[in-house]
Amino acid sequence: MQPYEMSLAAAAQAIRQRRLSPVELTDSVLARLEQVEPRLQAFVTVTAQRARRAARRAEREIAAGRYRGPLHGIPMGLKDLIDVAGEATTASSRVRAGHRAASDSTVHARLTAAGAVLVGKTHTHEFAYGLTTPQTRNALFPDRIAGGSSGGSAVAVAAGAATFALGTDTGGSIRVPAALNGTVGLKPTYGLVLRHGVTSLSWSLDHVGPLTRTVEDAGLVLSALTGHDPRDPASLPPNAEPDARGLRIGVPRTYYFDRVDPDVEAAVRRAIAHLEELGAHLVDVDIPMTRYIQATQWGLMVPEATAYHERTLRAVPDLYQADVRVLLEAGELMPAGDYLRAQRARTLMRQEWARMLADVDVVAAPTVPLTAVPAGQESVTWADGTAESVSDAYVRLSAPANITGVPALTVPVGHDRAGLPIGMQLLGRPLAEAVLLRVGHAYERTRPVRTAAPCSGSPR
Amino acid sequence: MPALGPPEAARWAAHCGLPLPADRHDVVAATARHIHSVVSVLRELDFGDVPPAAAYRADGAHQEEEPLHAAL
Repeated sequence: MQPYEMSLAAAAQAIRQRRLSPVELTDSVLARLEQVEPRLQAFVTVTAQRARRAARRAEREIAAGRYRGPLHGIPMGLKDLIDVAGEATTASSRVRAGHRAASDSTVHARLTAAGAVLVGKTHTHEFAYGLTTPQTRNALFPDRIAGGSSGGSAVAVAAGAATFALGTDTGGSIRVPAALNGTVGLKPTYGLVLRHGVTSLSWSLDHVGPLTRTVEDAGLVLSALTGHDPRDPASLPPNAEPDARGLRIGVPRTYYFDRVDPDVEAAVRRAIAHLEELGAHLVDVDIPMTRYIQATQWGLMVPEATAYHERTLRAVPDLYQADVRVLLEAGELMPAGDYLRAQRARTLMRQEWARMLADVDVVAAPTVPLTAVPAGQESVTWADGTAESVSDAYVRLSAPANITGVPALTVPVGHDRAGLPIGMQLLGRPLAEAVLLRVGHAYERTRPVRTAAPCSGSPR
Repeated sequence: MPALGPPEAARWAAHCGLPLPADRHDVVAATARHIHSVVSVLRELDFGDVPPAAAYRADGAHQEEEPLHAAL
């Protein structure tokens, strides 16, 4: 196994035991990045020199006995909405031409303090306002979409061009590309990971979180992001026995399995059955207020996004991509009453979800209703004859966790008949990341995930 | 409620301080109509005294103690 293929946890252990140096690991990841980047286009900027400097510093510190922890010397990518002092934060947009971040985002400062090594800034759907990331190709099948908006981060991690990455998630933008590229993605509880220095799409829905190759890795990154806390939501005992005993896992009777591709449904139901074999007790649950999920998501996101872009939409409208520009313009026409109804609906939805989550520890469901579609496909027609835009389909099962703020983790659970990855979503109570990580870790320990993607050709 | 046409979209946008070029009127009106069709379903809810969740704590502190009621 090449160093770029290693999980974060495995690389960290090798570095701590001085079987692997941060310089070797970073060189391996940068070489892999150079190899796959022309085909995948995951990065806006590659910071190779900066990375090699940081890796040498990490090597010196560790040799001198100053080991900072599991992220020390680990190469990472950051979605290009996240400020790094002195670097551009382009948001993958011409609107940001000439931008330079004056200071570090909180998350970059924390990861730097933990010793992580920045290899580059990854592509986002422009300003995170979309679900495809059209600049970037799927890590496994380059004729398929990467998903978005954190498409570059998911593809970089899946392809071995970063050992982990950060993304942002407003309506599924960590979980969707993670699922479509076969990686793990964690949207933490609203407010748990600080957003200072991260470009906003929609303040009341935005979250920052990790994309990794394993659940264990996601826990390690979350620990570094949240700092020491007695309630540490990410602590996993090393080599914990795979165990879901005593946990009550809610299986949705409504919503999450409606209009879902049969291969996706079958894979997720198999994974849920496996959790039962690991000792979990399955409980049927009814998802509340499903009729109002999309309306609430849009009622919050559309006016908040338009408000963020108020000045630039007037100053340089032609610099936005067409799909983003028209949403921002149309958002100007939304009455305040619609926004307030959405905020009041959210109050009710949070209350109803809290009631549902009082009966179960975790809800297990598909992350997205369909695998990665071919680039350019704009709509999907379901077996019941209804049609839906691809973006609406990808947001549909993610939005509840953004509206309610509950944590949500996606874990790879197999492939469809074409070989495209499928993700299972685990949703939990606010600040119960540890429970999600425990369940996800138990699953992956007994159903190991594939490491760095081979970057092959077309689906079977 | 009458559907929003291109001239109304242009007038509303101008009223909001966003003058739209003529070639934007149709597409902005169509997108605004679609957004309206999605969000207007919230008008079915009788919110009673339920306040907006503009600011909240995700762990539900101070809110779960006194559940809010509304006709769903």
